[in-house]
Amino acid sequence: MTLRVDEDSLKNGVLTLVVTLVEVIQEALESQAVRRLEGGDLTEEEQDRLGNALLELDEAMEQIKKDHGITGSVADLRHGLDEVVDDVVDKLINPQRWAQERGKTIR
Amino acid sequence: MGTGHDEAMQPTRDPQATLSELVDALLNKGVYLDLDLIITVADIPLIGISLRAAIAGMETMLEYGMMNGWDERTRAWVRDSVSRQVPLQQGEDVVAKMAGGYYWQDPYSPAATWRQGSIYLTTERLIVYRREPQEVLWQAALGEIAGMELRTEPSVGGEARTRLLVRMDDGATVLLSAAEPGRLKDLVGNSLEGTVGIAPGAPVSGSSQAGDGGEEPDTLLFKGDLWYQEVRAAGPAWRSGTGRYDSQEGFTWQDPRDRRPAIRLQPEEITAVDIGQGQMPTGNSSILILGTAEGTFRLASARAEQWAMLLRGVSKAGRRDTGTPEVDDDAES
Repeated sequence: MTLRVDEDSLKNGVLTLVVTLVEVIQEALESQAVRRLEGGDLTEEEQDRLGNALLELDEAMEQIKKDHGITGSVADLRHGLDEVVDDVVDKLINPQRWAQERGKTIR
Repeated sequence: MGTGHDEAMQPTRDPQATLSELVDALLNKGVYLDLDLIITVADIPLIGISLRAAIAGMETMLEYGMMNGWDERTRAWVRDSVSRQVPLQQGEDVVAKMAGGYYWQDPYSPAATWRQGSIYLTTERLIVYRREPQEVLWQAALGEIAGMELRTEPSVGGEARTRLLVRMDDGATVLLSAAEPGRLKDLVGNSLEGTVGIAPGAPVSGSSQAGDGGEEPDTLLFKGDLWYQEVRAAGPAWRSGTGRYDSQEGFTWQDPRDRRPAIRLQPEEITAVDIGQGQMPTGNSSILILGTAEGTFRLASARAEQWAMLLRGVSKAGRRDTGTPEVDDDAES
């Protein structure tokens, strides 16, 4: 599996890669924020600040993607990464795949 | 899956795992790495690495009892830095903060303007505070708030904006703008229900007042919010602060941000006590006018009458005017 980063422009390619990674981190932060909110030891003021900060980050990311016209390539790269992860996870937990892999190496 | 006998109960997984889900699962479960690594050349150990790492979502960390102190300290630091900006009293905490402002009627011109800052709701007060240049634009003790209502009006740009109209217990009204007026109203409403001890209109007096942390000396007889009209080169300006009458110190007025009281008068120094009416940043108010040998002090308060009674009672001016001290009756009412 190869990751296809837009070859037309190196700048856009690098930016796409960075934005994609930041998006992954952003999603991790968001889901952890939800867990913290549900954990219930944040004060009202802290909850507010956290929500606003994440909202601002989200808006900024959308704006950057729009400004540079990389919304599509980011989505493609995300899809590519997801497939890699899917493949790795599948290899790790699917016994049928273990058999296949062993078959490959023997052959 | 076609192996026959165990077909019925095969574990399955979602057709597609995504990177986000993977990261999420790792953070939720937490990863602990304990690694000892020795790099040897020709069987001679040259470099040793002992690595211990744990990565997990903070909520998971806390569940396992890790980094509790860090979490507390980081959040406490932010709380402190917020309270360092706003001049808070002892034992006072910020409940909520949002952008906002208040409608300011300039006492020296017919024009009224919005003064913008941040609205802080604390456990004791509602404050409109501007950080740069630093100034408390408006403040009210929660006990002084008699009611609130939302009001929609057209803004300068023509669109309708919702404002919060705050009614004070002395009849004055103040118009506040806020990022979320509805939420501010609810928050203040909740805080008002929770306020204990200070009934609307009751004088803040005595040393047993909740929230003062027992810091006040026993000699303190009367205390309350007072505005002081300071005479500056550019003209008179109202400053908010606290007035105290203490049997030893006499009458003092202090801005919470100052170290020392700006006014310090012994009862015998007060030669005249009068009540007037005047324009205040918060609307019309009774103004307490204290005459001394050095000059006249103009102070405004919703409880100006009580201050006047008290100071007449203890000062020479009082003895000349009313004959008998009537402090005790009125300070307690």
